[in-house]
Formats: sequence, C-alpha cells, structure tokens
Amino acid sequence: MAKLGVPAVALVTQEFWPQGDFVARSLGMPDVPRVKLPHPIAGTGTANMKAVATQVALEVIKALEGCLD
Amino acid sequence: MTDLFRAESEEAALEDLHTRGLTDGLPVVIPTPDRVSQMVLASGQEADMVLGTMGPGHGLATMEKVAVAAVMAGCLPDYMPIVVAAVKAVIEPVFDLTEMQATTHCTAPLIIVNGPARISCGPVSSGYGALGPGHRANASIGRALRLTMMNIGGARPGASDMALLGHPGKFTYCLAEDEENSPFPPLHTTLGFDKEDSVVTVIGAEAPHSVIHSGDGDDPKQHEGLLDMLAIGVANPATNNAMLSSGTATVVLNPEHAGILHRAGLSRDDIAAEICERCQHPNAELHQLSPGFAPSQAGVRKAFRSPEQLLILMAGGSGLYSMVMPSWCAGTHRNSPSSSLVDFEFACEIPVHGPGELG
Repeated sequence: MAKLGVPAVALVTQEFWPQGDFVARSLGMPDVPRVKLPHPIAGTGTANMKAVATQVALEVIKALEGCLD
Repeated sequence: MTDLFRAESEEAALEDLHTRGLTDGLPVVIPTPDRVSQMVLASGQEADMVLGTMGPGHGLATMEKVAVAAVMAGCLPDYMPIVVAAVKAVIEPVFDLTEMQATTHCTAPLIIVNGPARISCGPVSSGYGALGPGHRANASIGRALRLTMMNIGGARPGASDMALLGHPGKFTYCLAEDEENSPFPPLHTTLGFDKEDSVVTVIGAEAPHSVIHSGDGDDPKQHEGLLDMLAIGVANPATNNAMLSSGTATVVLNPEHAGILHRAGLSRDDIAAEICERCQHPNAELHQLSPGFAPSQAGVRKAFRSPEQLLILMAGGSGLYSMVMPSWCAGTHRNSPSSSLVDFEFACEIPVHGPGELG
C-alpha cells in the first residue's frame, strides 16, 4: 500500500521488530513508517488492547500524517 | 579399535564414506586421525574408554568411535560432552535402543539439554526455530548421535532400521529448554536432578506436531482450551499413544502458552496431570476406528498411565504454536525417557582449525 502511495503504517510488536527491519530492507523500504507495540498483543484481552491502542494512537496518526508530507 | 581407511583426497574420502553407507546421506567432515584425536581430547577421556553397546548391531561405543561421529557431524569440540551424554543416555537399558532402532514406527531420539552445559558446551538454542536449521550446536549434536546409532549401532534403513518412512528428526533432533524465560523450574529438576546439574534427556519421539492456540485475556478459563488442544494433539486416536497407550510423550510449550498455564496457577506437574486426564478415549470409539488394536469393551482407554509419562518443557519463540511429540509406546520399557549427566569436569578446550587446515 505504501508503494502505491496510500498512507500506511505497519504495527509491529517488539518481538517481531527485527523481522520488520529485515522485511523493510528487503522490500527496499527501510524507512517505511512503523509503530512498535508491546508483545504479545494477540489474546491479551479487550482491556489491554484498548490500553495499547490508546497508548499508540497518536503515534500512528503522526506516522500517517508523515506519509502526506 | 576404529578402522582406518585411506583415500587420495577429502573428496575421494567423502565418496568412499557414502559408498560404504557410513553417512546419513549428507556430506560429512572427514574424520581424519588428527580431528578425531582432538575430539577425544575435548572429552577429557581416554580414546578406548567404553560407554556401552549400541543395538541392533551391538557395536562397542568407545570414546574414539563417538568422536568419529562428532567430527563427521560437524561438531565443535565444545559440544563433545553433550554428545557423550546423549550416547550414554540412549545406551541405558531403559531406552530400549535396539528395539527403537529396529521398529517400523518413525521414532527418533529427541535430545533435550538442561543446565549450564546449554551455554558452556554450546550454545544449544532454545528459542526461535530451535528444532529447525541455523543452529550449529543443535544441528550437529543431534546429527552426531544419529551417526553413532548408524555406524556403531548398525542401523541401516530397510535392513536393520525398519522405519517405514522415518521423519526428518532422524537427521538431527536436539534443543535446549529456555530455562531463563520459563515460569517453571527446569525439566531436569522434575526428573530428580539439581538445578546446577547439566543433563541430557533423550526420549523417543515422532516429528513435532503443531498445536495452535490463541489466548483470550478476557476469558478466565482460557487455559482449559489450551489444555484440551494439547491433549488432542499428543494423543489423538491416530497416535500410538491412544491406541497402544503407556508410552511417554513430549509437550514443548511456547512462552505464551507456558505463561497462560502459569497464570492459571498450574505447576508443571499440574499441567501434566491435566493433560493426562484429558488423554483418554472410549474403547468403543477406538474399536470402531481400529478393531485390531482396540477390543470391543466398555469403559475408556487412558493414553498415559500417569502424569509422569508426559515430558513438559518450554522452548521456542513467542506466538500461537506449541509442539507435541507423540511416541512409539513399545519396547520393554514402553518408550521411557533416559537422562544422563553432562560430565565436563575433565573436558578440554580445544582450538578450532581454520579453513584449509586438515590437522
């Protein structure tokens, strides 16, 4: 999506951040916008997911706005 | 006494070893006398020290012959104490090596390393892809054991190793427990060893079967579903464990699944008891599926005699998947695990040869 010019941000958990580095480099997009999430996220419950979402929402918006610069 | 072959070159030696059926089918490091001597030196023991006899060929496992296998497998000298412990473990009568090597089932010895030797004689990986490629110690230690089973024990596919198909773990099958991140005491303490001990445990195991489970932090009973899934995986009706019963099997929890069970207040023993309780099938169901193995009668058949027949450890990366290894369940000792202390009191640090040095 980012290559198509659509504002995009990848949400990547801490544990998978190095893999994110690898994929971004291999796709020729080392600076693709990414936001780091705690690990794990899946299965941690609604309350935790809402708390994480609240925590990173501003960062996600800023990353998307950065795509428009 | 180890046989000595002569060849014109390393390439010719490799082809000779392949032709003689002394490899696992992949290229090996040529076990030159110097390389083997260094590997023996690394063990800290005499070359003619006898570890025992390996079936089905009843070959004498001397330290030198084990060192030959370790060299061929690509082991660093540092790994030698673990290789020796693994050989000692499969030689123990409780492991039923002769029967295990000869069976038509696909069983292979899974090597589990616990204690300080994981680091000092490795490192033996316990994390992402520990049972896959890319971990030198895991790959070569397991391969060394297999080469001893072939070249000392005499197991040859279709002649003395009658596994109908085998499985990839028969090339190598070795990992460490992730003791540092596990919420449970290390496996070897459950087996009666001290935490400071270094221990190799071998258990005849099928290839790893994946068990998917996503936790649900909103569900206080989320651990129940995980236990159900693990039980289905390790003793579904198609396994020997369900049909023949009473053989030890292995459960490798990933960190998330271990965390779910730990937060539910379960100890390792509790987990084993919970899975054990779930691993039973109505005799009528088993009879319908396979009358030859399950007579028509009332009641249920339990896959495991007791929770002790489930080896539970934590390893692997963080995610949705744990692994279970159902087992063969036959032999005099019914697929029992065997553990051996890693003895590196006399082990020597050996410098590794650089590229091109033949020793």
